[in-house]
Amino acid sequence: MTISSASELAELAEAREELRAVARDLLGKTRPPAAPAWSVLASSGWLGLEVPAALDGADATFAEVAVIAEELGRAVACVPYLGAAILGTGTLRELEPVQDTDDLLRQAAAGLALPVAVLSDGTPTTSPATADGVPFWLAKTPGGGVRLHGQAAFVPDAAKASSLLVLARSNDDGAPVIVVTDPRAPGVSIASQPVVDETRQLAQVTVEGAEIAPAAICRFAEDPRAAVRRLQDRAAVAVACDSLGVAEAMLDATVSYAKVREQFGRPIGSFQAVKHACADMLVKVTVSRQLITTAVTALAAAAPSSASSASASSAATTVAAMAKSYASDAAVEVAGKAMQLHGGIGYTWESGIHRYLKRASLNRALFGSPESHRRRLSTRYR
Amino acid sequence: MTSAVADLAEFRTEVRDWCRSHVPVDWRKAQTGVPEAEYVAFQQWWFAELRAAGWAVPHWPAEWGGGMSAARQVVLYQELAAHDAPRLVLAFVSIHHAAATLLEAGTEEQRARHLSAILDGEIWVQGFSEPEAGSDLASLRTTARRDGDRFIVNGQKLWASGAAHADWCLLLARTDPAAPKRKGISYFLMDMRSPGLDVRPIKNAVGESHFCEIFLSDVQVPAVNLIGPENVGWQVAQATLGAERGLTMLELAERLGNAGFRWLVEACSERGLLGDSRVADRLAGLETEIAGLRALCRDLVERSEAGRAGPADASVVKLFYSELLQRLTGFGAEIAGLPGQLVLSKPASSGWESGAWVLDYIGSWEWTIPGGTSEIQRNIIAERGLGLPREPAA
Repeated sequence: MTISSASELAELAEAREELRAVARDLLGKTRPPAAPAWSVLASSGWLGLEVPAALDGADATFAEVAVIAEELGRAVACVPYLGAAILGTGTLRELEPVQDTDDLLRQAAAGLALPVAVLSDGTPTTSPATADGVPFWLAKTPGGGVRLHGQAAFVPDAAKASSLLVLARSNDDGAPVIVVTDPRAPGVSIASQPVVDETRQLAQVTVEGAEIAPAAICRFAEDPRAAVRRLQDRAAVAVACDSLGVAEAMLDATVSYAKVREQFGRPIGSFQAVKHACADMLVKVTVSRQLITTAVTALAAAAPSSASSASASSAATTVAAMAKSYASDAAVEVAGKAMQLHGGIGYTWESGIHRYLKRASLNRALFGSPESHRRRLSTRYR
Repeated sequence: MTSAVADLAEFRTEVRDWCRSHVPVDWRKAQTGVPEAEYVAFQQWWFAELRAAGWAVPHWPAEWGGGMSAARQVVLYQELAAHDAPRLVLAFVSIHHAAATLLEAGTEEQRARHLSAILDGEIWVQGFSEPEAGSDLASLRTTARRDGDRFIVNGQKLWASGAAHADWCLLLARTDPAAPKRKGISYFLMDMRSPGLDVRPIKNAVGESHFCEIFLSDVQVPAVNLIGPENVGWQVAQATLGAERGLTMLELAERLGNAGFRWLVEACSERGLLGDSRVADRLAGLETEIAGLRALCRDLVERSEAGRAGPADASVVKLFYSELLQRLTGFGAEIAGLPGQLVLSKPASSGWESGAWVLDYIGSWEWTIPGGTSEIQRNIIAERGLGLPREPAA
């Protein structure tokens, strides 16, 4: 979609704010962590935001998806939105459209299928910059069939997948392709990896020679390396949005608490030590939001269907690295400060602050640590 | 491409071409260690150049020679920064604070007299702080006693930047000693050539002397030079001070994001440190923060233009910029090592990151202290931005 006028831009911004208000309302109906039914997300239209209208989707962009990602972070929501609606659907949209992938997009938008992307090997030390980090490969068997091999850890929402969209190296030309894989097929195993943050579900995906039908091997619509790069940027920015939501929730909670909690006969928020910490939290949240807005806008513009240039795509990668490294760090600091300023009550399980701190901590490590993103940025200085 | 985008691209080309033919190639070197008079002449020349191009006061209303859209101003400042043009240091208070005050609260006569004079090079200084009124500015003691159609001013002002070259002063003085401290202050336009006025430079930590003390003994200020109503000066100053923050910060952010960061990378490169992972990590962290600052400033300018700026937005930008500048110049000083300690002067008319890293680092406290210290900014952000309870009033 191309935007041609300021008034259209303003309308889109307004629509996003409406989407945000609806999401906050829906996710705020219960105490966090929010755990709305998947069918509720489907009927709210959140699962088909980036799906074309012809496939019963909303024909919106990553900018709208980013709003939901942020609100899910704010509610520390336990839903497979990241693995399925953000990365699964995002992956399908990068592929050459065929009947099968169209069907999958239609079902995903309706909440009837849960296609989950398997994009990186999850090694914490691997820089997300290396498109060579493709963790799976296809190999021909003597009988003429094709089999899939490989392993990836820390795959969000894999355990709930109805199908896995596995990034693999093609047996023909070595180019990255997506292999649509049945998680119940022989040779495929999915092992849950319980992590400290109980609001996220990660799993290790192991494929040992699973037989793959030719139709399940999907080519990217455009340059596959650029597509992989875009998907990795998308993953990083989606997590950054989640972190922003976490940080905003913690700032709000802390400010509310500091206004009512009294010690020494005064609200603790009247003490400079507390008030200055809150001001620093606001600055971090504000800067995070700016970097994320820049990255989301760049990624939405770098979508495969748009006539974006290679330089626009590389610029998107730069701002994605900035957004992920800053916002995911900031959220840990903000949530940590929130726990500190809530005092003893903040350290209890009951208060729930720990969920935000744990989610922020996981987010920071997911899809490229701040250090790995900064390493990528720094390659531009030489 | 839409017409608005094409128009901006065309404007960018225009500024770029202009910079290439107007920014003197060697000005930094030529302006390093120059005598005061040469610096002043250089500033006046550069102001006249920008004025001739129509870009000295782009933020003023069209009728006074400005009227540029916020989007175009962003482009203008980006290109000036990218081409490392000299900064308008001497005229800074005149074109920003004085103009904003006149436009917001001045009479028709005051505007007519001073706005055109500023375009012709009239220099202004702020006479706000005093020895006993720093962060607690409202406790200022300089008095202005009414005497018919004039006021008699007595007291002492401090940290008046550029007072030695100033023609006029934005003066806050107490006109009602009996009233609560914020309700007895008036705001004046004071002629710096008035008898009874003594200006003494103060050498700052960097070794420069642009800060001054102003001693006022029985200085006569005509009552027509009151700006805003008598005893409402505090409120007038509050309303006009933050108004300019967006644009002035935008310019500084663009400076930091262009030449400033480029020099930092060069300094690392010269010392063979770009391959050091810790150095690379810190550079990337700083570049990220600068990107955040630039986006923040553009956003503030746009929201100010649309009348949607929040009460603490300017403080967030000032605080973040000041401390980022300190981190960045501090890192520069660290990278520059012992050879950096040999750099004893920095180019006049340059930004706050001139590449003379140790001096730049020392000079960065000129951002975290004046204009409301970082501590005061945090109070403002917490109280006005987040609604936390006020400090118990003294």
